[in-house]
Amino acid sequence: MSDMKREMAFGDRGGGTGRAGGGGARGGAREERGGGGDLERGGGRGFGRRKVCRYCADKNLKVDYKNAADLKYFITERGKIVPRRISGNCARHQRQVATAIKRGRQVALLPFTVMQHQ
Amino acid sequence: MQQMETQGTGGAPQHAKGTMLREYETIFLVRPDLAEDLVDKIVERMRGIVHRDGGKVIKVENWGRKKTAYEVKRNFRAIFVRFLYLGGTGAVAEFERNLRMTDDVMKYQSVKIADEVDASTRAVEADVKLPGDPEMPERAGREPEGFGAADFGGRRDELADETELPPEAE
Repeated sequence: MSDMKREMAFGDRGGGTGRAGGGGARGGAREERGGGGDLERGGGRGFGRRKVCRYCADKNLKVDYKNAADLKYFITERGKIVPRRISGNCARHQRQVATAIKRGRQVALLPFTVMQHQ
Repeated sequence: MQQMETQGTGGAPQHAKGTMLREYETIFLVRPDLAEDLVDKIVERMRGIVHRDGGKVIKVENWGRKKTAYEVKRNFRAIFVRFLYLGGTGAVAEFERNLRMTDDVMKYQSVKIADEVDASTRAVEADVKLPGDPEMPERAGREPEGFGAADFGGRRDELADETELPPEAE
């Protein structure tokens, strides 16, 4: 229970900064976020910068589980895999990235989870 | 396909033309406190095992003492070794069996790189030895840091705790 509370508190803080920082990028597409943001932007979707798949943009770039530095880009601070709608990966490369992250975790190049120390 | 004879454990076997083998890569983590010559000893033994099974070691990379992303057998660092080799059926099983028997090997993972590689034409590459991460004071090595530094327009924190988010109170 107390653990849950702590999580909520952290989430609140995280959410706040997120909204202030990059809320405008794709805010409209996320109805569940609700709140004032959508009103201000008319609730439309499809505006903002379209993200392109890094691996499609650069044909020479290969998804490699040994390249932890590149894969870090696709995991959150907690070590979770970043979803496609955020990272902008195409389906194929997202699959490859997900597999690579899981392999990287197995050999301790990437974390399964990262403790939040407060 | 039958391989030509293998001479002992040390030398690499000669492969007949058109011998198709699979290419594998195995990464294993060695205890960080192990002396360098002992690591080399493990490497040479594993090389001998691949050759004994009629395989071919393409490349051995020693990444040196690196920080691990999480605690492995009470250590926050490990010596990473990457083996790139060709082998037939059972090569990986034999390789991994020997890693399991070696107490100083903490962790390993094998991945298939390619099917159907011609063993006689696949060139052997030079071994690589990397220095690893710089040594830090005792305290600094405790906590893996620097993960998730990428910027997704400030939504990163939000994402990490998406499920725990309370409704926005304005």
